[in-house]
Amino acid sequence: MSEERELDEDNIRALRAGHGANCSSIGSVIDTLFATATVGAAMFAAIVAALKKEDVRVVGADAGAGSRPAEQQPREQP
Amino acid sequence: MIVRYERWGAWVKLETEAAIVALDRDGVRALGLDGGGAWESETRVSPPIEIHMAVTARCGAGCEGCYLDVSPDGVEPPREDLVRELDAAAAAGVFTVAFGGGEPTTREDLDVLADAARARGLTPVVTTSGLGLTAARLEKLRHFDQVNVSYDGDGDTYAAVRGFDASDAAARAIERLARAGVRVGVNVVLTRQSFPQVDDTVAKARSLGAVEAQLLRYKPAGRAATLDYLARRLSPEQARSLGPTLRRLAQVHGDTGEFHVRIDCALVAFLSADPELSANAAGLARFGVFGCEAGGALAAFTVDGRVAPCSFATATRLPALSLSGHAGDPELARWRAHVESPPEPCASCSLRTVCKGGCKVVSGFLEGVHGPDPECPRVIDARRERAS
Repeated sequence: MSEERELDEDNIRALRAGHGANCSSIGSVIDTLFATATVGAAMFAAIVAALKKEDVRVVGADAGAGSRPAEQQPREQP
Repeated sequence: MIVRYERWGAWVKLETEAAIVALDRDGVRALGLDGGGAWESETRVSPPIEIHMAVTARCGAGCEGCYLDVSPDGVEPPREDLVRELDAAAAAGVFTVAFGGGEPTTREDLDVLADAARARGLTPVVTTSGLGLTAARLEKLRHFDQVNVSYDGDGDTYAAVRGFDASDAAARAIERLARAGVRVGVNVVLTRQSFPQVDDTVAKARSLGAVEAQLLRYKPAGRAATLDYLARRLSPEQARSLGPTLRRLAQVHGDTGEFHVRIDCALVAFLSADPELSANAAGLARFGVFGCEAGGALAAFTVDGRVAPCSFATATRLPALSLSGHAGDPELARWRAHVESPPEPCASCSLRTVCKGGCKVVSGFLEGVHGPDPECPRVIDARRERAS
């Protein structure tokens, strides 16, 4: 039986929504800042749900250091 | 998900949601991970999470304000070189690669390059003018997570930015891409002439099927680095009205979450004129708003294979293939150092941690120094106060 990953919205320091496709300057979604608290909460809730279930792969210079293989990662119950 | 450790935790790119998340250390531990050495170093310099890659210097559009001064007979780097650059980006832990140029769709192998990026864990996105979008080129664009079409407005508005009116062709491209199921956004360059029409431009783009509009500040680089820049840049009053403009656009288009409005890094400085936004740096940071990240979270690969702090900045001597050595490059370090300890009035600005000093390309062009953004409303006010 797999364990639930215990993380919540407070663990998210920043959420960059979408994959903007501009090639000349880095962009950031701004309309969400003006959204209602309900909409904002729903966005973060969706992200937390994804963080709890997706397999993990570490990249960059520290790949392999301190990480566990994806198949050993806890998975959310179906 | 793809995880890259940082001093404070980790950047995480999700796969089931189009999002990149900064997760704190406890959150990373909840994933069953530990940052190890990355969490022990106080001086660690993070590599970029996004690379803007010029895949060609070829473009026949001839836009008056082209920031790279490209031409119809510009060079096209061999695919093998670009694939090696993708390898370097992936090895450094980059998440997103935005293909640009030149006109990327002039490359016959654009789809192959997109697939090569994806195979390396990079999210491939691309910007196109939309001009000359043949059926074959459209097919190649299916290989990207998102395609942005340059669309500054209708008719005269488009022409005022680019020097010719190809707005119908750009609009058709948006519509065709959307109908083909491609996730399509638009890049809207804000100039003194296009800004008054931005509401209509965004509404039109959405009606054509775009799911996102990215508003871009006009910058003095390439062919735009002339005195004409002074007549095209936003007026001080327009810059000050960005906050209310964004609020209005969000009210009209942010209702369902199906359409988003983005601003580019250089526009963040203008939010200092908005009392509510300038007092909400924490909120901006929470929603991942980036100001100047040149040499930081962002870098560019030039068409001749060098690293630049951003697409508008002069390239460093660091080869793109050596991206993992970015921390040791003195020019990239100079850009980052300014952000770490900017002079006044940036030093005391409530938005400093998000804005990061505004656009250095603008300050470099207008004042010849790597200093505070001279078009930032707060900088203008501070200088006016000092002068009086």
